Amino acid sequence: MSPGPKPGGVVQGTLDMLILKTLALQPMHGYGIGQRIEQISKGVFQVNAGSLFPAFRRLERQGLIASEWRASENNRRAKYYAITDSGRKKFKAEAREWKTQIAAIARILEATEGEL
Amino acid sequence: MSVLKVIGSGLRALFHKQQEERELDEELRAYVESAAEEKMRIGMSREDAWRAARVETGGLEGLKEDVRDVGWEVALESFVQDLRYGLRMLRKNPGFTAIAVLALALGIGANTAMFSVIEAVLLRPLPYNDAKELVRVDSTWERGGIMTTYSSSPPDFFDWRDQSRSFASMFAYHMGENALTGRGDAKRMRTVMATAEMFATLLVRPALGRGFVAEENRKGANHVVVLSHALWRAEFGGAADALGKTIEMDSEPYTIIGVMPDGFQFPLTGSDAYVPIGFDEKVMTQRGAHYLHVLARLRTGVSVAQANEDLGGIMAELRRLYPDKDGKWGVHADRWSSALVGDIRPALLVLLGAVGLVMLIACANISNLLVARAAVRRRELAMRRALGAGRLRLVRQMMTEGLLLAVFAGGASLLLAHWALVSIISFGPKDIPRIDNVELNTAVLMFTLAISVVSALLFGLVPALRSSAPEVSGLVKSAVWSSREAGRARNALLIAEVALSMMLLAGAGLLIRSFIGLRSLSPGFDPSGVLTLNVGVPDAHYKNSSALQSYWDELLAQLRGLPGVTSAGLVNELPMSGDDFSSSFRVEGRTVPEKDEPSAELRAATPDYFRTLVIPLKKGRMFTDADRLGGARVLLASETAARMFFPGGDAIGQKLRFGARGGYEVNQGEVVGIVGDVHYFGVDAPVPPMFYVALAQAGLDGVSVVIRTTGSPAALGLLSRKVIQGIDRDALVSEATPFEEMVAGALGQRRFYMMLLGTFAALALVLAAVGLYGVISYSVTQRTQEIGIRMALGAARKEVLAMVMRQGLGFAAAGLAVGLVMAMMLNRALKGLLVGVSTTDPLTLVVTATVLLLVAVLACYVPARRATRVDPMVALRFE
Repeated sequence: MSPGPKPGGVVQGTLDMLILKTLALQPMHGYGIGQRIEQISKGVFQVNAGSLFPAFRRLERQGLIASEWRASENNRRAKYYAITDSGRKKFKAEAREWKTQIAAIARILEATEGEL
Repeated sequence: MSVLKVIGSGLRALFHKQQEERELDEELRAYVESAAEEKMRIGMSREDAWRAARVETGGLEGLKEDVRDVGWEVALESFVQDLRYGLRMLRKNPGFTAIAVLALALGIGANTAMFSVIEAVLLRPLPYNDAKELVRVDSTWERGGIMTTYSSSPPDFFDWRDQSRSFASMFAYHMGENALTGRGDAKRMRTVMATAEMFATLLVRPALGRGFVAEENRKGANHVVVLSHALWRAEFGGAADALGKTIEMDSEPYTIIGVMPDGFQFPLTGSDAYVPIGFDEKVMTQRGAHYLHVLARLRTGVSVAQANEDLGGIMAELRRLYPDKDGKWGVHADRWSSALVGDIRPALLVLLGAVGLVMLIACANISNLLVARAAVRRRELAMRRALGAGRLRLVRQMMTEGLLLAVFAGGASLLLAHWALVSIISFGPKDIPRIDNVELNTAVLMFTLAISVVSALLFGLVPALRSSAPEVSGLVKSAVWSSREAGRARNALLIAEVALSMMLLAGAGLLIRSFIGLRSLSPGFDPSGVLTLNVGVPDAHYKNSSALQSYWDELLAQLRGLPGVTSAGLVNELPMSGDDFSSSFRVEGRTVPEKDEPSAELRAATPDYFRTLVIPLKKGRMFTDADRLGGARVLLASETAARMFFPGGDAIGQKLRFGARGGYEVNQGEVVGIVGDVHYFGVDAPVPPMFYVALAQAGLDGVSVVIRTTGSPAALGLLSRKVIQGIDRDALVSEATPFEEMVAGALGQRRFYMMLLGTFAALALVLAAVGLYGVISYSVTQRTQEIGIRMALGAARKEVLAMVMRQGLGFAAAGLAVGLVMAMMLNRALKGLLVGVSTTDPLTLVVTATVLLLVAVLACYVPARRATRVDPMVALRFE
């Protein structure tokens, strides 16, 4: 079961979307994906292997990402994941949905007394 | 994403499992490597970097398990794995498995058998089209707040049929027994005499030919017959040209107008032929002649309550119009399906409850065994947890093992249930409708499956949750079971087991006591060594009553001549045969309004009837052979009748006139003697007031014969039949039955309930004993070390024995106490089944408690003795 939101954790249900986004930029291996999410979020999100790997398996099963074995930057065999076409579609849809929600939440949070 | 894709990827994964596993391993290794390298890059030492990377990644086995859990195929796969593993565990512990499966199979088997009885008797729809709309309409008579239902009279039936608006159709019928004559030896037929609306009401049409028409209801016009499919096949080989032919019934010709469809049976057990009822002018005016059964089909949308209101209104008007005949009568309609099982339903439901308790005991038992075994398996389970199995996975594993046990037990139980049903069909009481239809059909099998699964949940969940509790590290180190809480749960289960068994035992004890009481009650006559059979002769062969009488005289004379026969007598309706015939009467010299006239049972009997059954003469004189047609009409009164109607003790010499005839001839006479009371309707029913007319003055064409023999009654049967048919070939002779069997049969339902509850209680007792034995044995094993130390320190064997026994009997006593209280509260449910025993009968409670205690002592003694054989040296080295 995925953990609830906690410091350093990812908001529940968004990990798949973040992985898809990362892979939309370029294909990458498991460790790299984790690092990239951490980097881009400036250390706010730390994803551990325990959440990453089940997510990879899940996304792969759903056909949203594909994998192949390749040599890594330091010449080791690594499993690289890449986003598929249906993965891109799915990501766009989810991102759109997410943005709408964020905007809505933000509006509510910043509402003044008069508006409510 | 398409479902196909999901299934496809799952299947691929199943077949490429090893490759996938390898890849996952490699991928994870690469991940840790990358993490370590990253850390070294920022300046950590190689060693520290690797350690940190491993910690960061977490337990790899657990992680892999999580990844594996993603696809659907994993659930299936792990279930198969659990199954295999479970099977291995069960095989490894054959003793445990055998006991658990046997205990469960007994519980499930008993429940399956009981449910199949309920299914056949209470739940299965009656075998007619749209049978749920069929209602039975009875005449009722309220006396002392108790409503008794009776059959109905023809005029009442016609008024109900014509005036009510609640029914689509209504018909009346009565059963007849005829001789199929003119085709070799006379054969007995069960015949339904019905009004023409039978076919419309039952929504059935003859497969061949036609049903009756209204004109054929009249006597004289009714010499037509619709054959049952079976009789048609037997007598006409299923030939279509049987239509229009005639058959002879009681030596009279009937034209075959139809054949019923295959499988049609009415009433429930079926009959051989259907004949129009044949009302004559006289009977159409006899409102007091209650002999018809009435069935009706509710109009669509009409409820039973509405129908009763409708009928009640009609009956109120009839009471007003005919105060003398209908003054005391009411009417009541009930769905046929529930009217059939009126007082049987509550009894069966009580038994279902009892057998459910047996199931609970069995579950508690298995649960205890599993908890004890889980203790043994603690190390194994802890190991699996440490290796990455989630708690859910462990619970699933344990539940799968429970399910396996339940499935095996369910299978075995079907065998037990099958045997139970075979004996229910052959020994079950004949007066529970459709009891011989019990079978292991789909509904019953579904029930078995359901209770197997539910029982697995019941007994499996507690041990599964307990033993998968997360205390990994401590448990790996030590496999010693030390949880007090678990012990408490086990003890509570054990006490509950004993308590439930106590309750069932007490209930069974009460039924047995009540039954023994009933058995020891004298029915008022001596049935041992007496053979009975029914004889009917065709009216057409005998011109008048005296011709009939000579036939009976000849019959008695020949029977008395048979070897071993000491006396033979005749009566028109036997005690305990279920027949009744009551009539209102008027006492000469007393003037009471007709509606207040007393009524009593009326029989016709020969002098030797009383001698044969040993019914004593109390006062006055017996019938003699001189009391014949043409002589003065005489009556005998039973003691109850004499006391009830002539409290002054002046019964003898009174002249009575009955509303109905005590035969074709007699409806009046003078009381000449008083005879002993007879429990005509069974020893569990009140003794009815009874008058007898002399059979020789009655001119009957059908009687029951009672023959007392010094030999075996059964052996005499065939011979008697031969003799009787030798006098008149067309005479109809029933199977001969030893009277003792009939008397026992009258208690058949009670015996059945008693045997069932007794069996359930015995099962409960065995299960409780096994449970007690198991827990005490287990505790002795656990305490081997302690016992060893005690003995090393000088404790005597006797003291050890006492210590263990104390523990076991403590549980038993606690269970007993709880059980006694529950028995006193809940056995009230048995009230309707008990005669002459209170539901808290102290003797029964004491005896059953003693039995339970003795069994408990035995169950504890065996393991306690084992405890005394503990060798201190071995015990101290234990562990």
